[in-house]
Amino acid sequence: MELSRRDMMKAQAAAAAAAAANVTLPAQAQNIQLGEELRLKWDKAPCRFCGTGCGVMVGVKDGRVVATHGDMRAEVNRGLNCVKGYFLSKIMYGADRLTRPLMRMRNGRFDKEGELQPVSWDQAFDTMAAYWKRVLKEKGPEAVGMFGSGQWTLWEGYAASKLMRAGFRSNNLDPNARHCMASAAVAFIRTFGMDEPMGCYDDFEHADAFVLWGSNMAEMHPILWTRVTDRRLSAEHVRIHTLSTYEHRTTDLSDAAVIFKPGSDLAILNYIANHIIRSGAVNREFVEKHVNFRLANTDIGYGLRPEHVLEQRAQHANDAQVSQPADFDAYARLVSEYTLDRAYELSGVPKPQLEALAKLYADPNTKVMSLWTMGFNQHVRGVWANHMVYNLHLLTGKISEPGNSPFSLTGQPSACGTAREVGTFSHRLPADMLVANPEHRKHAEHLWKLPDGLLPGKIGFHAVEQDRMLKDGKLNAYWIMCNNNLQTAPNTGNETYPGYRNPQNLIVCSDPYPTVTTMAADIVLPTAMWVEKEGAYGNAERRTHFWHQLVDAPGEARSDLWQLMEFSKRFTTDEVWPAEILARAPEYRGKTLHDVLFRNGQVDRFPLAEMAPGYENRESKEMGFYVQKGLFEEYAAFGRGHGHDLAPFDTYHEVRGLRWPVVDGKETRWRYREGLDPYVEKGTGIQFYGNPDKRANIMGAPYEPPAEAPDAEYDLWLVTGRVLEHWHSGSMTLRVPELYKAFPGAVLFMHPEDAQKRGLRRGQEVRIASRRGEIRSRVETRGRNKVPRGVVFVPFFDASQLINKVTLDATDPISKQSDFKKCAVKVVAATTQAAAP
Amino acid sequence: MPDEFHISSLVVHCRRESAADVATALRAMDGMEVHGGVPEGKLVVTLETTTESEIVERLNQVQLLAGVLAATLVYHQFEPTSRREASTGGCRHGTLAP
Amino acid sequence: MRSRLLFGVMAGVVCLATGTLLAQDAPRLRGPEPFTREQPAPPLPRPITNDVRIRRNYPDQPPVIPHSIEGYALDLNANKCMSCHARRFTEQSQAPMISVTHYQDREGNTLGGLAPRRYACLACHVSQTEARPLVENRFTDMDALTEPERQPGGRSNR
Repeated sequence: MELSRRDMMKAQAAAAAAAAANVTLPAQAQNIQLGEELRLKWDKAPCRFCGTGCGVMVGVKDGRVVATHGDMRAEVNRGLNCVKGYFLSKIMYGADRLTRPLMRMRNGRFDKEGELQPVSWDQAFDTMAAYWKRVLKEKGPEAVGMFGSGQWTLWEGYAASKLMRAGFRSNNLDPNARHCMASAAVAFIRTFGMDEPMGCYDDFEHADAFVLWGSNMAEMHPILWTRVTDRRLSAEHVRIHTLSTYEHRTTDLSDAAVIFKPGSDLAILNYIANHIIRSGAVNREFVEKHVNFRLANTDIGYGLRPEHVLEQRAQHANDAQVSQPADFDAYARLVSEYTLDRAYELSGVPKPQLEALAKLYADPNTKVMSLWTMGFNQHVRGVWANHMVYNLHLLTGKISEPGNSPFSLTGQPSACGTAREVGTFSHRLPADMLVANPEHRKHAEHLWKLPDGLLPGKIGFHAVEQDRMLKDGKLNAYWIMCNNNLQTAPNTGNETYPGYRNPQNLIVCSDPYPTVTTMAADIVLPTAMWVEKEGAYGNAERRTHFWHQLVDAPGEARSDLWQLMEFSKRFTTDEVWPAEILARAPEYRGKTLHDVLFRNGQVDRFPLAEMAPGYENRESKEMGFYVQKGLFEEYAAFGRGHGHDLAPFDTYHEVRGLRWPVVDGKETRWRYREGLDPYVEKGTGIQFYGNPDKRANIMGAPYEPPAEAPDAEYDLWLVTGRVLEHWHSGSMTLRVPELYKAFPGAVLFMHPEDAQKRGLRRGQEVRIASRRGEIRSRVETRGRNKVPRGVVFVPFFDASQLINKVTLDATDPISKQSDFKKCAVKVVAATTQAAAP
Repeated sequence: MPDEFHISSLVVHCRRESAADVATALRAMDGMEVHGGVPEGKLVVTLETTTESEIVERLNQVQLLAGVLAATLVYHQFEPTSRREASTGGCRHGTLAP
Repeated sequence: MRSRLLFGVMAGVVCLATGTLLAQDAPRLRGPEPFTREQPAPPLPRPITNDVRIRRNYPDQPPVIPHSIEGYALDLNANKCMSCHARRFTEQSQAPMISVTHYQDREGNTLGGLAPRRYACLACHVSQTEARPLVENRFTDMDALTEPERQPGGRSNR
């Protein structure tokens, strides 16, 4: 007994080492006196959670995941995972997994006011298809929509984009990534003409200073934070400056915690630019050769409903995205207003802190890596904030080289891959192309082998607008996939829930688990998750990585990809395409959308025989061809030769991901610099080749105030966000006992003096109320987040404390991304009387 | 403290041509077992010790062997030697992590 | 009307789903019933501070912390965790020592002590509260598969 325990541990140890080294052990070694029952099959997969994209080794036995650990061979994390990643093993095994389609029924038939009851896939799809067809016929393509995800696999997003844009001829497709990094994506295009960072994670080991703008990496990107802290603790000269509206675990490990008033980061950024100019730190040669100057339209409103007084009052609410060409002097004049005094006045940050920060950027010998996440992106001036940090790097030429790196961190595992590269935004096509550009549409029609003029040019409804249109009855057939929007959208009580329950609308929601959103939907489709399907993600550093299906989904649960492709079989071109297009291209008549989108001689090009032996692949087996490979290779054709080159499909199953552009089998770590990026022409040094003149844009913009600020009645700033232990709305992590018990419910983080002033003590129940709604929570005056007076923080993972009933649906008017970080609330003690429902 | 046994595993990267010699040298070391990886030049090795510090010592020794490029610890677990203690104490697994 | 209706819907799904919700505060998973209903906030659960080590689910799972970490400094100047769990203090503190895997840096070199990349202990090791899980988790660990006699339930995660 003792011997066998020891030997079992030894066998596990040897297996782990063999997996790490990618060595196959001889049979006798694997079996060390133990027999078959111990043999786990280990495979690689990326983590299911954040945009970091850590590698995980997944151990499977008898069709179940029984263990996971950090992948030593994954460059991103080299064996480490955060606590969520270490518990990936358990996310699929919550006992309330959805295993059958559910539909609201009364008297044996679909009824929006009925109860959710189990039905067959056919019943669910038939009901959906009939509804879609009626809406398309009566109201046209603009009345159907889909809300997807940066957690979709590449091919799921790609299939959804084809089905929506080419099948239903609607651009009303948006990912939840709109709430997460649309500001970053838009600013990339406006600045460089191409999306996504020029640098990569290797910058962590090269930077001399890290500046975090609105990012709590210690909790939201824990493994990247290990690389930052590793660098800080290993090299004495390295410094970390963290800007935030409150203190947290990241500021705990920073040299400077720069706490500013909500929204005033804009003033700090312009002050730093002003300092760079006035102190003579502008890299003249770089600026002259590689940079254009523009000035943004100002007074651009807050992305609220058009009739809102703030929109009516704003001068440029309708042309917020417009900017004018300018020159260095005009830009210098604009930022010259942002003196140290003014930056201090607006931000409340002590002057020595501001000066120290400005000197970091200005010093030509300090390599600076700027990092940002939701504090920057979920910001009514998020695009400007992104521009302003690029401005600093472009003024000083600190860009596109190891350690000098403005780096946008993403929230979701495939925010870059699926939302941006594949193009599931309402305005985008694959490889940075735009639906509004006729040339781009033509190119897509050509690559998709579809008739000319099929793709619609009108930009679809973005996330917040979809909710408004559902409520207003203008969007009626709606499919939500891979997200929990009723918990995570802003101002849900007024703007999201009413649309879901609007009797004119059919709401379909695909999810592995019951969530707030499935509970309000009319049809609920059970979904396969993570390693229950073959998948691919694109992480924040342009790394594309793949995994195989390793286990089967429970019951009748099927992947989003299967759902999309299967649903497309229920429509013929004659039913959904205009007669004039079919008259011009009669060869498309009488075919199903499945035929024209997925059996087009490209997507169905690879036979099942090309699948790697030893892996299940449900979608492919049901469709009769290697679906994932066909979709990927068709998609990759958009980017190859255009700076978005992807490696051949099979390569990705071998390697731990590759950073695009992959040219001649080599990944690209730093873009736009000669010698590092194969797209840069010899002798040019730097080329921002996304723009026609190969220059980047410095965009001048002022400080403008938030949409709502505290006043006498609603006297506190509300900031919402995440916690380390839970992934977004918690539908997976709340079902893992260890993660649940670590942070079981949302709390209101509040300064002890603010609590005392209101007669509140730690643990007391309170109401958090805004002009839009209220929830009840408990006061926390200690713990990991230390908010200043006047600010409160509430995480959004807890479905029993739906803080988004309280938030404001203001967005950045350019990126349409919601601002979850700034609205006004009051906090009062909850009395038992009011507690009654 | 000595009433424990530690199991760890390492990957020893070595020059392919020296892999066989390194494997022989490793086998001669106390508690070391080579499970494979000679052809790849990446030896899969398990190590049994009674204390943690022995693991570190042994790792350092391995790193000094001729032909060794790197020795990487992959896995570490320890348990009390006595099973009775293990089943009643609730502290079977003692280390603080992977 | 709406409230009664949706309550019925909720009950329907609870029965349909194979798992049973375990705790009173199940709205944490699926929201209030209906969505518009105000939900009271349950009291803050107490932290687990009994110092009883909790068995791991699989060898590479970071052990959870069975004691309070309230007020622990974990900054550039001090790491309170290491004042008990560092090798040289464990004899005195009786705390489990950090694993030697924690001595290796990103390049795989073994250092004399804690590698800087492992400095932020709380990224992997989390404390626990007495909150009761909301729903059963049917994960089965390796030991249950390989040595079923050790775990009569076969799916325990403690």
